[in-house]
Amino acid sequence: MFLKHIDLTTALRPSYLPDEVLLFVQDNVGLYEGKFKLPNQQNGQVYLTSHRICYVDKDEPRKYSAALNLKEVDRYEFYAGFLKSSAKITIVPKPLKRSTLHNRVVSNTGVNSRGSTPSPAPSDNAYTPPSGPPSMTAATWVCTICSFSNPVPSNFDPTTANAHTPLPPCLACGIKPTLSQVLKAAISTASNRPAATTNTSQSGISSQEISSTITPQSSDLLTFDTRTGSGQGKPDATVSFHCPRCTFSNHPSLLSCEMCGAPLLSQNIPSSISSSEYIRTQSPGPVKDSNSKTSQGGTDFAESVKISFRGGGEKIFYERLKSAMTQRKWLLQDAPPAPKSNRAMDDSSPGSPSTPVQKTKTAGIAGLEQLGLNMRKNNEILIGSAFEDLEALMASAKEVVALAERFAQQVNGASGDVTSKDNSILAESAHQLGLITTKDIVGGGSSESLYFSELARNLAEFLTDDSRGVLKRAGGILTLVELWAMFNRARGGVELVSPMDFEKAAQMWEGLKLPVRLRKFRSGVMVVQARDRTDDATIKSILAWLQDLHEFPPDRDVAWDWREFGRGVTAQEAAERFGWSLGVAEEELLMAEEHGALCREEGLEGLKFWKNYIGSTDPALLQKKEAQEQADALIQRLKETGLIG
Amino acid sequence: MATTTTSPPPQPQSSSPSSPSFPFPREYFFPAFFTRQTNITIHHAQLTKWSALILAYARHHRLFRITISAAAESDLFYNRGIDRRLSPPDIREVLDFMRKDGRAEFLRPGESNGAADASSSAAAAGGDVVFLYWRKPEEWAALVEAFVEETAQKGSVLTVYELTEGENTRGTEFHGMDNQVLMKALNILVKRGKAQIFGSEDSLGVKFF
Repeated sequence: MFLKHIDLTTALRPSYLPDEVLLFVQDNVGLYEGKFKLPNQQNGQVYLTSHRICYVDKDEPRKYSAALNLKEVDRYEFYAGFLKSSAKITIVPKPLKRSTLHNRVVSNTGVNSRGSTPSPAPSDNAYTPPSGPPSMTAATWVCTICSFSNPVPSNFDPTTANAHTPLPPCLACGIKPTLSQVLKAAISTASNRPAATTNTSQSGISSQEISSTITPQSSDLLTFDTRTGSGQGKPDATVSFHCPRCTFSNHPSLLSCEMCGAPLLSQNIPSSISSSEYIRTQSPGPVKDSNSKTSQGGTDFAESVKISFRGGGEKIFYERLKSAMTQRKWLLQDAPPAPKSNRAMDDSSPGSPSTPVQKTKTAGIAGLEQLGLNMRKNNEILIGSAFEDLEALMASAKEVVALAERFAQQVNGASGDVTSKDNSILAESAHQLGLITTKDIVGGGSSESLYFSELARNLAEFLTDDSRGVLKRAGGILTLVELWAMFNRARGGVELVSPMDFEKAAQMWEGLKLPVRLRKFRSGVMVVQARDRTDDATIKSILAWLQDLHEFPPDRDVAWDWREFGRGVTAQEAAERFGWSLGVAEEELLMAEEHGALCREEGLEGLKFWKNYIGSTDPALLQKKEAQEQADALIQRLKETGLIG
Repeated sequence: MATTTTSPPPQPQSSSPSSPSFPFPREYFFPAFFTRQTNITIHHAQLTKWSALILAYARHHRLFRITISAAAESDLFYNRGIDRRLSPPDIREVLDFMRKDGRAEFLRPGESNGAADASSSAAAAGGDVVFLYWRKPEEWAALVEAFVEETAQKGSVLTVYELTEGENTRGTEFHGMDNQVLMKALNILVKRGKAQIFGSEDSLGVKFF
C-alpha cells in the first residue's frame, strides 16, 4: 500500500523522523485513491515534510492517519479545480519492482529535474566530460557573463578556499568567477554527494557487481545492450534522455549531454543496473517501458493518491512539494554535512592534492594545541563560507547550527553557569528548529486558526516530550508565562511566539483534546498542566501531605496539639514539597482553600494553610445542627431549673 | 456606663467559684480558627462556630454584655495556650454576625443607659459594649412571665431590683440578670400588654397582668 499508517505524537501530529522538516500544513483536506474517495479520510490536515506527506484525520486521528513517503513518489500533478470540484494534487507512486532506470526516463519526461544532481563516483570515472578534467564532485557553476556551465575544479575544496585560491576562468568566455559562486556550487553539490554514496551502499549488490565483474564503463552499455537485445530494438529512439539542463534529447548510451556537457547519469544508476538485470530475468522491460509512459495516469496506477484541498492552500502545497521533491532530503538522512566530509577526507588522506597544508603528527600539549588550532581554523572557514551568501548558508545550515550549539556549550562551560536546566533545553533547541510551526508553514483561508491549532499541538508536544520532561520537572504544573519563556528560549531566538498568539494557542488545547490543559486560577493566573491532573487530585495530594504532618512532629515545639491538627504550611513549603514554582503553589493552595479543603491562618510567620477543621462545607447543615444543639441545651436548662416537666 | 450591677470584665467572672472552667470546643485550639477565613463557606462556618462559642461562654459565665476592647484580652478571644487571638475587627465581625442572628446587640456609645429599643437598629461600628443574647429578650420575657405565673404574683407589683436580686427569684435564670437586658424583656411584656412599667430611673416597678 502506498499509504502507510503512521504514529502520532501525543499532540496528534505525525511524529517526525530524524532530520525531517515540516514544510507545510493545510487543514480541511480529503484523500482519494485512484478516482475514489477514501471514506475515512475526508476531513483532516495534511502535513508536508521534507520526507513525507502525512494525513492526520480530524475525527479519528489514531485510526485513520496515513502517510506516504516522498521517496516513493514518482510524480505529482496539479489540478486546479473546476466549479464544485476542489483543487487536487495527484501523487503517483513509483511502480514497485520496476526499473529505476525506467523511472529516470519517466522522470526526465516528467516534472522532476533530477539530472542536475551529480553522478556518483564509480560511473563518473568511466566518463570524461568534454570540457574540463574529470571531477570528483562534478559540480558546475554557471558563468554570470555567458551563462555557460563550468565544472568546479576537482582540487577546489570549499573548506579551505579563500580569496587567494586560484580559480579557473569560464571555459567559454574566459571571465573569472567569484569565489562565492564557485563555493556555493561546490557546497550544494557536496551536500548532495554523500547521499549518492549512501545510495550506492544501499544497493550493495549492484555496486559490488560493478566493481568486481564488469568495468564501470562497459556496464552501462552492457545493460543497455542486453536490454535492447532481450526486448526489442526499437525503443532506443523513444527512450532518449532529455538533458535536464538544455533538454536536448540525447542517445541513451551517452553519459553526458551532447549539447551542453551536463552529466546525464543520475545518482541512482547503480540500482538501475541491478534492476535492469532484474527486468531481464523477469519481464520484457522495454515493452513496459514504452507502455508505462502512456499508462501512467491510467488504470495501472490505481494506487495513485489524490489530495483534495477543500480549504485552499493547494498552490503553496504544490510549490513546497515541488521543492521538496527537488531537494530530496530523505537521501541525506544519515549523510554527514558537506563541509565536514570534505574535512574528514583531508584528514584521512593527507596526500591528496587539495590539502597543501600538511599536517604534522605531534603529540602531547603541542598536539592538542595543534588540534585546537585546526578546529578553530575549520570553524572559521565554515562560518566564513556559510555566511558568504544566503544559499551557501542554507546548504551548510546543519553544520552551522551544530557549531552554534558547540559555542553555546562552551560559553556555558566557561561561565560555569548553574542554570543548566534551561540551557540544556536551549542547546537541544536546534533539533527542534525543523519542527516548529511558523506562520508561513500553514496556509489556506483559515490560516489564522490553523496556525493557532498547530501551535497548540506544537506546545503540547513540547510539554509532554519525555526527553525534556518540561512538565514533569515543574511538578506537573507550570504557569503560562514560564512556559512561554521556556518555549521561546527553546526556539533559539527565531520565530518567537508573541504572548497573544501563545495564549490563544493555549486556549485551544481544550478543543483539540490534547493531553495538556490550560487552567485559570481565581486570581487570573493561568497555568498549564496535564489533562489528568484535576483539582481533586491536587487537593487529595495536598491533604495527604497535611495528614502526614499529623504523624511527624514539627521541627520545633508548637503550642497546639500537632497530633490533632498537624501544622500549617506555607506556599513555600508546598512548592518545595511538590516541585511547583512558588506562584503555582500559592495558587494551588488557594484553590484548595476555595474548595473548602484548607483554611488559612495569617500570623507573624505569614500565610499558612491548614486542613480545614473549622467547619463543614455545608453551612445549612451546620446551622441546623447548631440550632438543634441549642434547642437541646435550652430544654436541658429548663429542665434543670425545673421550669418544665 | 450603667450604674447598676453586672458587666464586669469577663475575667473576674470566669474565676467566679460558681463556674468551673469553661470547656472550650475543639476549634478553640486550632490556630487557623483565629484568622478570618476568606472562603465564604468556611468563613460562614467559622462565624457560626465563633458565635456558638461566645454564647456558650457567656452562658457559662452568665455574661450579659461584653466590652469588646476588654474581651479581646480575655481568654474567650485570646487563647494564650497557642498564642492566637481573634483581632478586634474580627470580633466585631463575629458579633455583627450574631446581631443579625438576634443573638447580640450593640450598645450605642451615646445611649449607654436606657432607651433600649433604639439600639435595635444596631450601629455596628459604634459601640464597644455588646449585649450577648444567649437567651433572647423574648425568651427572657417568657421566663419572667412563667415565673410570675408560677408564683402567682399576677396583678402585684414587683420592683426590678426584686426581680434580679430578690430572694424570691434566687434559683431562676434571671437572677442576677443585667438590668438593661431585663428591661428589654419587660418592655416586650409591656408591648404584649402583660405588664406595665412605672417609676423613675432607680426605682422601677413592674406590674404584671
